[in-house]
Amino acid sequence: MIRRVVCVIVIGIIWVCALGWAAGMRWNTPLWPAQKIVLPAREFHVVMGAGAEDGDALQVGAVGGDGNALQSTRITPVVAQDLPILRYRFQDFPRTLELSLVFRRADTPDDVQVITIPWPGEGWRTVDLRNVPEWRGEIVELGFIEYATAQLVPPSVAFRPFRFVRAELHSPSWRGGVAGLSTAWFAYVPWALLSVSALAPDRATAGTSSPLPVLLPALALSVLAAALILGWSRRRLLRRAGIAVAILWLLLDLRWLRDFGNRHALTESLYAGKSWQERQRLLPEQDLLAAADRIRDWLATLPPAPRILLDADSKYAFLRLIYLLLPQNIGLLSLSGNAELPAGSVIVLYSSSTWSYDAPRRRLSGSGRSYPVDALFEDGVVRLYRLRERAR
Amino acid sequence: MSVAFVLAWALCLAAGTALWLALDPRQGPGWRAAALGHGCVFGMLAAAGATALAARADTAHALWRAGPLLLLMAIACVLIWRARVRPGFVYDAANAKKWTAALLGIAVVSLAWRGWTALREILLRPTYPWDAWDAWAVKSKTWALLGHHAPFVPIDEWLRHPARELYTSIAWGYPSTLAWMQVWFASAAGGWIEPLVNLPWFALWIGLLLAHYGQWRALGMRRAQALAGTYALGSLPLLDVHVALAGYADLWVAAVLGFAVLAWLRWMQRRERTQLAIAVACAALLPLLKLEGAVWLSLFAATVIYGLLPVHWRRRAFVLLLCLFGLVVAVSGLKLPVPGLGWVDIGRDYLSVPIIGRLNIAWHGPAFAGVLNSLFVQPNWHLLWWIAPVIVLWRWRTLRANAATRHLGSFLLAALGFLFFLFVFTDAASFAETYTAINRLLMHIVPSLLTFLMLLLRDASAAPADTVPRPAVRSAAV
Repeated sequence: MIRRVVCVIVIGIIWVCALGWAAGMRWNTPLWPAQKIVLPAREFHVVMGAGAEDGDALQVGAVGGDGNALQSTRITPVVAQDLPILRYRFQDFPRTLELSLVFRRADTPDDVQVITIPWPGEGWRTVDLRNVPEWRGEIVELGFIEYATAQLVPPSVAFRPFRFVRAELHSPSWRGGVAGLSTAWFAYVPWALLSVSALAPDRATAGTSSPLPVLLPALALSVLAAALILGWSRRRLLRRAGIAVAILWLLLDLRWLRDFGNRHALTESLYAGKSWQERQRLLPEQDLLAAADRIRDWLATLPPAPRILLDADSKYAFLRLIYLLLPQNIGLLSLSGNAELPAGSVIVLYSSSTWSYDAPRRRLSGSGRSYPVDALFEDGVVRLYRLRERAR
Repeated sequence: MSVAFVLAWALCLAAGTALWLALDPRQGPGWRAAALGHGCVFGMLAAAGATALAARADTAHALWRAGPLLLLMAIACVLIWRARVRPGFVYDAANAKKWTAALLGIAVVSLAWRGWTALREILLRPTYPWDAWDAWAVKSKTWALLGHHAPFVPIDEWLRHPARELYTSIAWGYPSTLAWMQVWFASAAGGWIEPLVNLPWFALWIGLLLAHYGQWRALGMRRAQALAGTYALGSLPLLDVHVALAGYADLWVAAVLGFAVLAWLRWMQRRERTQLAIAVACAALLPLLKLEGAVWLSLFAATVIYGLLPVHWRRRAFVLLLCLFGLVVAVSGLKLPVPGLGWVDIGRDYLSVPIIGRLNIAWHGPAFAGVLNSLFVQPNWHLLWWIAPVIVLWRWRTLRANAATRHLGSFLLAALGFLFFLFVFTDAASFAETYTAINRLLMHIVPSLLTFLMLLLRDASAAPADTVPRPAVRSAAV
């Protein structure tokens, strides 16, 4: 009996140490925060978008013209290292929006620091900012910015009204550390383009981490301690270790299933109940979709070009445009090198600063090349030119 | 979903399943799962082949042009199966304990739940991941919307022949197998409807799990162990992501390489010649799915051939390999043929691969950290890479005693060695540092790794004896 009690105590100590280490706590860290600053939402003013006070909270009802909503407040300067635990609470925060913490430091008052933080959902979220390099010096202004989840949500349907309740800054404590760990391990992380390649770094969100390097060593130590204290045979140790690994696998899988379900919930909220025709227009890059429509319409009015070449500053933009314009036969201007372009070829430029058009000489120049062209269309960021003669 | 779309799926499943049954008519443990699983994947690949053969000029009607080929194939294979069918080996163990059964029940429910989530994700979302639309779906979308096939060529050739109907893309040299498969389903769907042309990725996941379950059973594993392995495979987060965010070729490579390994093991264990044929066919398919498949084909072929050699020849082969390595170090600029990749130029400080280009060889420390993060820190693989070395050490005697498991271990060691070299010693290190490719390439060998671990954990009392003959006898038989 005594051995069992000792075993439970030792395993308890192992897990407290493991979780404390993962949360960045020390043995002398207080249980409760020694200092804290409470920032009710009503103290924040709306910088972008529209909002109204709702008791202590702030009801945000609209985004600004650029699709962002920003609430900010000037605070009595605080030393960042003293208050690195950020707690925040929102209500009805739409899954389609992403949240970032914005702040100014006294040393660089003209620079706004922006840190993506976990989606708030319902209830409190806690982020430990000690590992955020920008969180240093004296903080003089603090706020939150909300915007359509990058790479994932079309800005036109992203916003739904939500309620910002309160934010708090705490000094390090076991309470804050454990809450931060809970947010880090279980916060919702949306799909990103990198998700097919790696799951943890698929979103650069502060305060998120994988529980794997903490849970497995802690579990291994616990099994080993139990074997030593309770005098398990090698056979029993192997069997119990196998069971422990299976249970941990199941727990990790439950965590993943929750994450998977949360990621899918956004897809449901965006696309469920809509026809394919509607869904294929609901792409995150609506500017590219509109540009593709314009380019397609313009090309339809032109006589067939022997070749169409496209360029843009952003690799994502030119590759995505080519896909959206299929089955138009389009090549990449940046890959053509010094190859000769056939006369009559059409050059499409989207948001390209590489290429400039000299109207008097009627030449398009960029990347060390110069082509004799006629300007065909220009509409904001999209430009079309036709090659007068073959050129390299 | 239209009748044509359902018909397209029915033809795929019928042709693929009949093909498997014709090749493996034994009705032993797990045969239905193996038939359905392999059938699912083989059927989709057969549809791709039939579409490439019969519907190049009219992709809009691929279903009606290539469908009869699949139908004929299904009928012929069913006839062969009926002629060859016979009761298979039967061995089974006692039922699992109640708590084990309960845990496995939870595992099956969790697989079903994630399958449903992935299916909904595919059916709702337009093609999302970068390479899916940038590389893999460009040919299929073009051919489906054009109504016929048009060749994809490098941009300089495209510019040289403006009068010809040529297309270009940054991925012009990628294999077209999956593109043809998407054309088949686009034709059945009545147009380029991305969720419907991405649906094969869900079927691939089902096929991967069923086929592994069936073959693990055929390899002598208890039902509970095979189910646990199937759950472990299906629960791996990055595999789930590749199903839900469909469009990449990596899961196909993982599945087909996994099938090749399973069939090879069955051949080694039971000398079933059709299984060897399946292993060879699956391995040969790899470069037709993704360029990296050529590397797996080469390593797989080398391991299979090495395993076939008599012991004294193996030693000579090993010495020959060492000499070859020495030659590479001594003579810069050695060229070796790699199927699917062409002549690979190997120098002391570089590696030049056609299509990929030149890779300089040097140590990349941050990439090493990226590799460790990918394996042991990020939640891509649950505990797989942590427990794999522990199981190998724990079951070392089993590994040494079983030739089939040993050969598979050699293959995996070579594959991991290749990936380690690629991501830590070449310019591809940037893909490990940014995590853009390392996990996807690791995924190719993950089903095979799980098979290896399952073999190591296989209860010796339930497993049939190691039937791999001595090498000298084997070489004579072959």
